[in-house]
Amino acid sequence: MQRRRETMSYRRRLLELAAPLLALLFALLVGGIFLLAIGKDPLQVYLTMFRFNLSRLDSIGSILYKSTPLIFSGLAVAVGFRVGLFNIGVEGQYFIGALLASIVGFSLHGLPVWIHLPLVVLAGMLGGMLWAWLPIVLKLRRGAHEVITTIMMNHIAYALVLFFITSVFLDTEQEMVKGLGSPQVRMPKLLETARMPTMHGFLETLGIELPRHVYLNWFFPLGILLAVALFVMLWRAAYGYELRAVGGNPAAAETAGINTQRTMLSAFLLSGALAGLVGLSDLLGYFGYLDIDFPKGYGFTGIAVALLARNSMLGVILTAILFGFLRRGAEGVQAFEGVPMDTIVILEGVIILSIVVAVQIVNWYVRRQEKLMKRRQVTMERAGGD
Amino acid sequence: MIGGEMLASAIRMTIPILLTALGAIHAERSGIVNIGLEGMMIVGSFWAAFGAYHYGPLAGLLFGIMAGGALALVHAAATVTFRVDHIVSGVALNIIAYGTTRFASLSIFDRATTSPHVQSLPAIDIPVLDRLPLIAPLASNVSPVVILTFALVFLTRWVLSETTFGLRLRAVGENPQAADTLGVNVFAMRYAGVIISGLFAGLAGAYLAVEHTGMYVEGMTQGKGFIALAAMIFGNWGPIGAMGASLLFGLSEALALRQVVEFIPYEFFKMLPYVLTIIVVGGIVQRSRPPAAVGTSYERGE
Repeated sequence: MQRRRETMSYRRRLLELAAPLLALLFALLVGGIFLLAIGKDPLQVYLTMFRFNLSRLDSIGSILYKSTPLIFSGLAVAVGFRVGLFNIGVEGQYFIGALLASIVGFSLHGLPVWIHLPLVVLAGMLGGMLWAWLPIVLKLRRGAHEVITTIMMNHIAYALVLFFITSVFLDTEQEMVKGLGSPQVRMPKLLETARMPTMHGFLETLGIELPRHVYLNWFFPLGILLAVALFVMLWRAAYGYELRAVGGNPAAAETAGINTQRTMLSAFLLSGALAGLVGLSDLLGYFGYLDIDFPKGYGFTGIAVALLARNSMLGVILTAILFGFLRRGAEGVQAFEGVPMDTIVILEGVIILSIVVAVQIVNWYVRRQEKLMKRRQVTMERAGGD
Repeated sequence: MIGGEMLASAIRMTIPILLTALGAIHAERSGIVNIGLEGMMIVGSFWAAFGAYHYGPLAGLLFGIMAGGALALVHAAATVTFRVDHIVSGVALNIIAYGTTRFASLSIFDRATTSPHVQSLPAIDIPVLDRLPLIAPLASNVSPVVILTFALVFLTRWVLSETTFGLRLRAVGENPQAADTLGVNVFAMRYAGVIISGLFAGLAGAYLAVEHTGMYVEGMTQGKGFIALAAMIFGNWGPIGAMGASLLFGLSEALALRQVVEFIPYEFFKMLPYVLTIIVVGGIVQRSRPPAAVGTSYERGE
């Protein structure tokens, strides 16, 4: 009997791993249908994507660069889920984070890089926390659902950032090439001391010549370090235990003497601080200024990243890189196969939906198996008693 | 400052918000949160332009409605049958709507961001009213969808409060177990609520493309699906309240566009619906009361 139970839990673990894989496969299938609809050969397209992604050094670098913001947003969402809160507001939090980081980045003159850069990064985290603060306080004090308030905060953030760019900090001293172009709608450029260095120099010492048009920077290793740190905190520190207990069963956690309100507050602020880092790789590592076309949507993709990783901090690294892989691949298939890049957007959406459905189906299957086993056990015991 | 022209513009801005809010009421009253409404508006606007381009404006509206309904069917299957998190499904559908629309636009019109110009329905002059001095701008050259929308407000109110269907819809949103015990098919009612919300959002998107702009433009919904959610909450889950909130938000958009109030920046008008919603759900002004079972999945016991 004992042995059978062991094989059960082993099979269960296998099944749980199967859910994300099934979801991925299903998404590729749906993507294939769209490709067929426009007269492309799906296998050919996917093959091109793999070849383009894996055969070139600039592709590898680009995949990691594209995955960087997604690591942070995936972690932010996953920390929320772990404590039982749905932070759909990562989107707005990283916009406010980028806004504060940008202001600190262009306004503080004369600081050495080792003071200025950390200040800018802290400003970003502070911005994210600030934007997470109101929703969690309203939730704990007034019972306002965090999903509704954070959605609203997202739209307020978009409008507020637009206002700051166009009306408060608009850079009016842009240098134009004589008679060419029009001024960008953007804030002043960040000072050199606020820019995150790329990894080219470091990689060169390892003998890797990363092409100059790839902007892989130190936020990528920082993201990985953070994921590992969060993993350790979650599974080794008392706070991590409390966080998981509150997420698992708040009533039981409260009975066990955990201050659930305080745990929710701090965990949601942590989620916001992580969210504040999302936009910084683009801001400090690539653009160097905040403009009206600053990339949107990382917050929502972060939900996909976290779900696919089943809220595992280390899993987030893998799934973020997977999404970076898809995004880089999209550029490849657009260039070489004439397939719209938006195929990848469809894939992302389908992955989110199919992962949650797959998890549900696996759960049902496991529950049914357990029930069957229990029934068999009961009949066997009865047979033994006779 | 606020003349008849201004009000007419405000009403045109109100329509897509109000239609979608009415749809949202159906979904939430049945217990299902639908934040995929934005996506349903997007597919509605694109497929309406597609339909109108090939078969005329009326077919366009139908195409839009059907597209919204089709996406809603996916949401219903995910949340009611598979019982997945309502918010996750909504987020996924918004992403899918955005992706498939760009994909379809590129493949069909060879452009990702716009469709060709399409014909609108013939506009109506409301007799008698269109000659009264103050109301004239409101009553002349009106899209039939505008009139339909206001009719739908009162139809929705009647359906929800007077019909068996409405009573059952509200029952499964308040207490699905009790409704089930009384023989109400919880799953069917929730499917109905969600699909109706998609049809309404699809019509709202169709209105934007066919009636308001005369073409599909990427991003034309501008988060109106979320403003509609705000209007529903602000209107306390009732059609008349949602109408009041939608008119307020529509007016704020019209004011923002014309920069009537010069010392208030455009962006602050855009924030207004969201700020008001936070104030309401935060219980700072009034207590909002969502349906008791909203956002939860129903599982039949054995």
